[in-house]
Amino acid sequence: MNNKNITLFLLLLSILLTSKAYSFDGCNNIAADQSCVKIMVNSKSGQALAGMVVYLKPLGGQQLTPSTKEIVIGQLGKSFMPYVSVSQANSKVSFVNQDDITHHIYSAGSDNKFSFKIRAGQTNASILFNHESEVAMGCNIHDWMSGYLLVVNTPYFGKTDQQGQISFTVEKQEKYNIVVWHPQMQSEMNRMSKEVSISENSAFTFTLKNKMSELPLQENEDDFDFLSDYE
Amino acid sequence: MVQAIAFWTLYSGNKNQEAAEINNRLTTAKTIFTELFDRRLEYLAAFAETAAKDYGLKEVFNDDTRSLLVALNNHRKRIDADLAMVISAEGIITGQLQRHFLDDSRSKIKQGSERNTTFRFLGWLESGQPAHLYIIDQDIYQLSLSPVTVGNKTLGWIAFGFQIDKRLATEFMNITNLTTDFIIKYEGQWRLIASSSDNIKLAQELALAENVVQGMIPEEYIATHSLITEFDEQEFGVVMYGLRANFVALLQEQWWRFLILAALTLFVSLTSAYLIAASISKPIKRLVAQAKVIASGDYQQTITIKDNNEIGQLADEFNQMQAAVLQREEAITHSSNHDPLTDLPNRNVLNQTLGNYIEQQQKFVLLHLNLSRLKDVNDTLGHDVGDEVIKAFARRLHALCSAANFKELVHLGADEFILLAEHIEVDDIVAQIQAELEPTFDYQGISLQLQVRMGIAISPEHSSDAKTLVQMADTALHHTRDTSKLVQVYQPELDVNTVERLNLINDLKQAIPAGELELHFQPKMCLKTRVVTHVEALVRWQHPNLGMIPPDNFIHIAEQTGQIKALTRWVFSTALAQFNSWKILGLDLNIAVNISAENLKEADFHQFICQSLTSANVPPEKVTLEVTESSVVEDPESAIKLLSEFKSHGIKISIDDYGTGYSSLAQLKQLPVHELKIDRSFVQRLEHDVDDQIIVRSTIELAHNMGLYVVAEGIEDEFSLNWLADHDCELAQGYFISRPKPAGELTTWLLEQQAKPVFAVNTKGNA
Repeated sequence: MNNKNITLFLLLLSILLTSKAYSFDGCNNIAADQSCVKIMVNSKSGQALAGMVVYLKPLGGQQLTPSTKEIVIGQLGKSFMPYVSVSQANSKVSFVNQDDITHHIYSAGSDNKFSFKIRAGQTNASILFNHESEVAMGCNIHDWMSGYLLVVNTPYFGKTDQQGQISFTVEKQEKYNIVVWHPQMQSEMNRMSKEVSISENSAFTFTLKNKMSELPLQENEDDFDFLSDYE
Repeated sequence: MVQAIAFWTLYSGNKNQEAAEINNRLTTAKTIFTELFDRRLEYLAAFAETAAKDYGLKEVFNDDTRSLLVALNNHRKRIDADLAMVISAEGIITGQLQRHFLDDSRSKIKQGSERNTTFRFLGWLESGQPAHLYIIDQDIYQLSLSPVTVGNKTLGWIAFGFQIDKRLATEFMNITNLTTDFIIKYEGQWRLIASSSDNIKLAQELALAENVVQGMIPEEYIATHSLITEFDEQEFGVVMYGLRANFVALLQEQWWRFLILAALTLFVSLTSAYLIAASISKPIKRLVAQAKVIASGDYQQTITIKDNNEIGQLADEFNQMQAAVLQREEAITHSSNHDPLTDLPNRNVLNQTLGNYIEQQQKFVLLHLNLSRLKDVNDTLGHDVGDEVIKAFARRLHALCSAANFKELVHLGADEFILLAEHIEVDDIVAQIQAELEPTFDYQGISLQLQVRMGIAISPEHSSDAKTLVQMADTALHHTRDTSKLVQVYQPELDVNTVERLNLINDLKQAIPAGELELHFQPKMCLKTRVVTHVEALVRWQHPNLGMIPPDNFIHIAEQTGQIKALTRWVFSTALAQFNSWKILGLDLNIAVNISAENLKEADFHQFICQSLTSANVPPEKVTLEVTESSVVEDPESAIKLLSEFKSHGIKISIDDYGTGYSSLAQLKQLPVHELKIDRSFVQRLEHDVDDQIIVRSTIELAHNMGLYVVAEGIEDEFSLNWLADHDCELAQGYFISRPKPAGELTTWLLEQQAKPVFAVNTKGNA
């Protein structure tokens, strides 16, 4: 564990100790025909897990207004920031190089293959992710960089907050498949799911069956410094 | 010789060296194998890792197998790998390229048989260990796996392998010169995978390899092996061996080369040794011969070697050394024959000269001269002056020698010289010498009279023997000291005690055990009662050849030769026994025994006296110890202490020979004694010598005033006896009363005296 992880762990721990009771304040302006669905993700040992992708896939074939959220996948400090992103298919995904060096971002081995070079400070939003997929990304220049984009077909998606929680305001009287996903989750397709019918405000807790594997550090093991002299 | 030893050592060490060489060779071969084998694996691993990073490969990894295989083959070709594989994320072998040899040079890449099967070692995929041994059918490969990733997501694995086959075996054989076999053990059975050997009988080859692995190397082979356990229950091994004969032949060849070299060197060194010997050893032999001549004492011959080299120089040095030795020998001879102070001939020359004279039957006078008072000069003026006096004395005597009638002057050492003179009237010679020494010797303002004493022996009157003559002159010289004369011519009477004395020393040792000693007793009479109350024990020596020897002649020898202890103890014990004998007869006598100064130094003397008294049961007061004044003078303190102990024990102490010593009255006062014994010299002429009367009378008075009894010895007439009685002397001893007599004789005499007391005047108890 590096310092970053220790800090995160301590933060999670303190939050867990102070707020255990459910609250639905994550849902704003809930209309009469809407319910608040609250999902909490815990590790196998019962600790709240932040940054876990959660999405609700409607099972009733209902037409939902597509998400307008724009996703930004940054390259900062020669790492993908954030490590895990989630977006609805066909929505805009921008790659923003915040480093002072060129990256060569690619994805291979899946239906969403792409590859482009992105110079320092530039933004690339040319890639269209038009169907559900798990996009593993790397950088051809910086071998250690690793990032994921989960493309989903629902506007109800997000990542758990520091309390391991996420809330969605959904239409009442509908069935959903709640999916929790993370590349380091040790289970089939790196996910857990549960089919539910929502009639009122509901809360669901997902507790992982297995311990998560280590997050990739996205750090160069060879601590080189020979590039600093170059423009 | 040296070469022979070196040769022999090398020959005997050859076998050991051979074994070491073989061992070294095999170890090296094994190291080379391990090194090359590992290097191949590392190479594969590094390459697989690099290839897995190829974006082109990643791009087609999951969906375009044909493109993937082409890309994979491109990579394979770069390192000429024999095997390339793609394994999917699920562990399925999606592609396998295997090289098949058509013949030795041509090969073809074909799809492997394992395509679309699950990879057999899924554990390897996750382990991260890059390199393994991998078997497909009958072929074995060194295999390296590397994951293909996007970020940290693993798409699958690629693998590359080198086959372990005859090519590799041959490669090792070319490096190590050893036949190389690869074998594998499966289900307990060894199988030959490949061999560098062209042996067609594979079973034979396998059997040999198996033996090597089991450590049973046939005698005719040298071999080593290495085992790698990799798969479950499978063991992979390499065996490397060679014919011992081939290897030894190589060593043998080196050995022969060495032999020839050694023989050549030997020949060269022998030849040069001969040449060197010819130029060096001949002159050295001459030098050795010359050295022997010199050693024999001949210094006259010289050696001539006209060489400019070291040998020539050595010869010159040799001659110089010879001269130096001669010079030194002359100096040594001179100093051994001359006195260092006066440079006059010494005793060595004297013996030679006397020998010559006597041989020629010459008549001559031998004078032994002694410079008087030299000790005084040394003590008062120092030895330097003493030496000057001796030199002056020598010069004067030497001056005499130039006169016709003196022949030879010899300096014996210190103040002693010997002068040989012509056989003329001795008085004339003496007069000549004294005239020469008459003038005083002046040294730094000090005038010294050179006075000389002379002992003279004359040849052939006294003796015709050189040694005897010198001894006679010496005896005569000694006599001048006793008689205070300046000149003494030898007379036979002078040396009575000389030879006899030496014999006595030896004989005395035997005297006590041989029973030659005997005690005589001389009575002491109480002058008041005229009764004999005391006796003095006196020792006599009945020598088997010389007859009766008086104590004056041997007591002194006993003291000087450490025999006085035994003598005194014998006397004391015998006297105590005699006391008891007399006691039985009713004769109650105090017995006096003479004690020597030497006895007083004995640590256990007191113990001996007291123990003897106790064991003989004699009362201490019945014994008198007579001690001379002089014996106390030497160490008064301890003597007084010892005498005090005797006195407190009850033993009587008497001062013997009083008046002849030099003891002061102050000392006398301190002495713990009971009586004084006035020396016979004062008593013998008492009737005629008024001075003696004064001395004796005042001594008696002195003794009485100090509370001491007085014994007078040497009473030889009635006058003395009565005079002493009149002057209150307590005891008297002397021939007038009785000579010393043997115990038996004295007993008779005493018993007679008891019966009719001759001298009885009145009866008044003893003194």
